[in-house]
Amino acid sequence: MRKAVPYILLLPVMLLTLIFIGGIVNVIIQSLGIIPSLGLYKPTLSYYQEVLSRPDFLSSIAFSLYISFVSSLLAAILGVLVCALLVGNGLAKGKIMQITKIPIVIPHTVVALLIINIFSQSGLLPRLLYALGLISAQESFPSLLFAPNGIGIILAYLWKEIPFVVFFVISIMANISTTLGEAAQNLGASPGQSFRYVILPLCMPAVKNAFLIIFAFSLGAYDLPFLLGATAPKALPVQAFIEYTHPDLLHRPYAMALNSIMFFISLIIVVFYYRLLQGNLKKIER
Amino acid sequence: MKRTMHIDRLGIISKILLIGFIFSILSPLVVIVVWSLAGRWAWPHLLPENFSLRGMQELFGGYSGAMETLFFSIGLSLVVALLAVIIGTMTARALVFYDFYGKRVIDLSTFLPIIIPGTVFAMGINVIFIEMGLSDSVAGVIVAHLICSLPYAIKIMTDITQAFGRKLEEQAAVLGASFRQTMAFITLPSLLPGLIASGCMAYIVSFSQYFLTLIIGGGTVMTFSVKMVPYLQSGDRTLASAYSLVFVCSTLLVFIIFEKTIKKFYRDESRYYFA
Repeated sequence: MRKAVPYILLLPVMLLTLIFIGGIVNVIIQSLGIIPSLGLYKPTLSYYQEVLSRPDFLSSIAFSLYISFVSSLLAAILGVLVCALLVGNGLAKGKIMQITKIPIVIPHTVVALLIINIFSQSGLLPRLLYALGLISAQESFPSLLFAPNGIGIILAYLWKEIPFVVFFVISIMANISTTLGEAAQNLGASPGQSFRYVILPLCMPAVKNAFLIIFAFSLGAYDLPFLLGATAPKALPVQAFIEYTHPDLLHRPYAMALNSIMFFISLIIVVFYYRLLQGNLKKIER
Repeated sequence: MKRTMHIDRLGIISKILLIGFIFSILSPLVVIVVWSLAGRWAWPHLLPENFSLRGMQELFGGYSGAMETLFFSIGLSLVVALLAVIIGTMTARALVFYDFYGKRVIDLSTFLPIIIPGTVFAMGINVIFIEMGLSDSVAGVIVAHLICSLPYAIKIMTDITQAFGRKLEEQAAVLGASFRQTMAFITLPSLLPGLIASGCMAYIVSFSQYFLTLIIGGGTVMTFSVKMVPYLQSGDRTLASAYSLVFVCSTLLVFIIFEKTIKKFYRDESRYYFA
């Protein structure tokens, strides 16, 4: 009887996990061209072949990887910088940290508007530059939003993700700084040396984890590229949804092939994440 | 002497950078407050030319249905939060207090919805929901939101369950308390901060879902998020900012409750709740 207790407690979560996994499996099955309700029975890799050879799909994949990689890398670097500044000034706790957490809970849809209000060609930043005489007309401000360079999307992700990295890394950095960092300085290291050779290397696993989480998230997220992206190239999730809602239902396998590609990339990330986690545990055990 | 001057200059630079960081977080939020009250605000004016209550009337005037949608959305997210708290607590107890076959697999799989893209899951599950009759229904949206918010609830509840252990429960049982009494007087009160915190987190995750709600709800389940996005696309910044302002305020209110609860309980920062 007692043996059954944990399974009873886990019943609801297992049911929901089953639905979740069912959804993923369904994506993979349909990406192989098996959709009985549409009369498609024969498994085939042709949808993947086509997705990986059509220029518009390929540019979608490249565009998504570019946005996610650039925004996540910048967020990780700037996040660590902010962390170092906060810890260095003894501000790892208190009011400033509470303000830092605000962007984490603001939804991406609202963040899109925040970015539009400031960085569009009629936004506040070009107005300010115009008032200062730095640009001569509205059109001389570069178009950052709805542009193929994806800068608007990247800026929006940065606004949300730098605070996330700070939040994720700061307590471990503050901890290391007050213990090992100070020890290093007592032994004659300068603050810079102590940060470079002691604090930063010990924080790296947390930074890498944060990077993997935001990379995976931004790669598969629909809202920001949908609201701030250009008509071409479109991000993977946006392109996938267009295929999904295409009036011709036979487009569905393309949508699912694009989804599967996103899924497999995120699966690789999960493996990395898990190995990092295991590595940390071993270090702690030692 | 030279060295202290060097450090002073570094200190000033780092303070300026930090002020810049805080400014870049807060100023966009101030801008939506101003825009939501703006009447005419054309290029190249730095401040609105006149103010208007158009945005507020749209929200509170009763003709747009904005408030009904808001209350419906709050209700839906409260249901999700309640379910997430109950399931999160059960899962945490199983993971913390028991050893069983497949524990590591369960442990890992509870975390998957954070890393696996929501878009993939949404389109895959929608097809299944159509077959189960859950698509375009409130129940379907609740199940989908629950899957997204559970990882956070489970993480918070696992931490707090671990912190409390079950010594007090065992003591109560030894002293003759019934299962129900132990639950009511020992377990629930001691887990209360975790219950509130995980509820808040699940609420925020649910309330913020746009794409998932759109695809599973099929446009018939109208949450505040789904209602707001067309305004964001319309280019009418006064209305878009007014909707966003309500959204931000209601989310921040819940977030403040979350922070206060966590603070009372954990001395350490709450960095784990997003991992």
